[in-house]
Amino acid sequence: MPSKKISELVRPKLVPTVAGALVILGFALANLTRGQAWWWCIVLTGLGTFGPGLLRELGWLKDKDEFEIQAARRAGYHAFLASGLAAFLWIAFVRSGPRQLKSPEELATFFAAILWFTWMFSSLVNYWGARKTAFRILLAYGAAWMAFNVLDELTHPVAMLMQSLLTVPFFLCAWLSRQWPRSAGVLLLVASVALFILIARVHEARGLGLVVSATTMVLFIGPLFASGIALLLRQSAESDPIQQEEP
Amino acid sequence: MKPRQEIRNALKHYRLQAGGMTQEDLALRVEVTRQTIFAMEKGNYNPSVGLALRLAAVFGVSVEELFQLEEGARDA
Repeated sequence: MPSKKISELVRPKLVPTVAGALVILGFALANLTRGQAWWWCIVLTGLGTFGPGLLRELGWLKDKDEFEIQAARRAGYHAFLASGLAAFLWIAFVRSGPRQLKSPEELATFFAAILWFTWMFSSLVNYWGARKTAFRILLAYGAAWMAFNVLDELTHPVAMLMQSLLTVPFFLCAWLSRQWPRSAGVLLLVASVALFILIARVHEARGLGLVVSATTMVLFIGPLFASGIALLLRQSAESDPIQQEEP
Repeated sequence: MKPRQEIRNALKHYRLQAGGMTQEDLALRVEVTRQTIFAMEKGNYNPSVGLALRLAAVFGVSVEELFQLEEGARDA
C-alpha cells in the first residue's frame, strides 16, 4: 500500500477520534464526579464539538477537502436557520402566556441540540446523499438500541431476546431505504409522529419539563423525521445511489 | 443536492479511458476523498478552479474538455 494511501486512511480518523474522546470525557467527568465545580469539565465537550471546526476556520487544521468543507459550511448555514427560527418560536411561546422555565440551563442544552443536530444531519446529507445517510442512521439506531437492551438484560436471556426484537423495525427500515426510499420515507414520518405522541405522553406522566421533552424529541425523533423528509425530497434515483467503487 | 450551476463533466469518461483508473486512484492523484470524485461524476458538486485544473492535468486535457456548460445555460 503506498504511503499516501495510508495517510489518507489514518489522517481523517484522528481528528474525529480525538474530538469524540473529548466529548465523552467532558460528559463523563461532569456527571460522574461530585461537586458543582466539576461541571467546568463540560467545556471539554464544547471543545470536542466545536474545536475542530474552529481550527479549520483558522487554517491550523487541514483535514478536509473542498467538497467536505463546502458540505460543512452549508450545514452551518442550515443550523443557523433552524436554531434562529427555533429561538423566535420559543420567545413567542414563552411571552404569549404565563410560562415559567424550571431550569434555564436546559434551554441552552435545547438550542445546542438543535444547532448540533441540524449541522450534523445536513452535513451528512450534503456529503453522502439522503439514502446513504438514512441507511446509516437507521443502522446506528438499531445497533445502539440493541446494545442498550443486551446490556440492560444481561441476566435475563428471554427478556433480552424479546427486547432485541424491538430493533428489527430499524434494520428493516434501513434495508427498505435502499430498495424503496420513498416508502421508507413515509414509514419514517409515520413512526416519528407515533414516537412523538408516545414520548410526549410519557414525559407528561412523569412531569418532565417542556425543555427536557423538546430536547429529547430533537435528538431522538429528529434524525428519524429528518431522514424521512430527506428520503421523500431526494431529487432522483441518480442523485445519490448507494455508492459502488467503479473501475 | 444538485448544484445550481448547469455544468456537465466528462470525468468518468476520461477516468475509464485512462486505463480503468478507479475513483480512489483519481482521488489520491488530486488529493481529495473518493466521495468528492463520486459527487463530481454524479453532477452533485462543481469543483473549484484549482481542483478542475488538477483534474485536467491528470488526464492531460484542458479544463474546457472536462467541464462544459449545459446547452441551455450557454444560450442564456
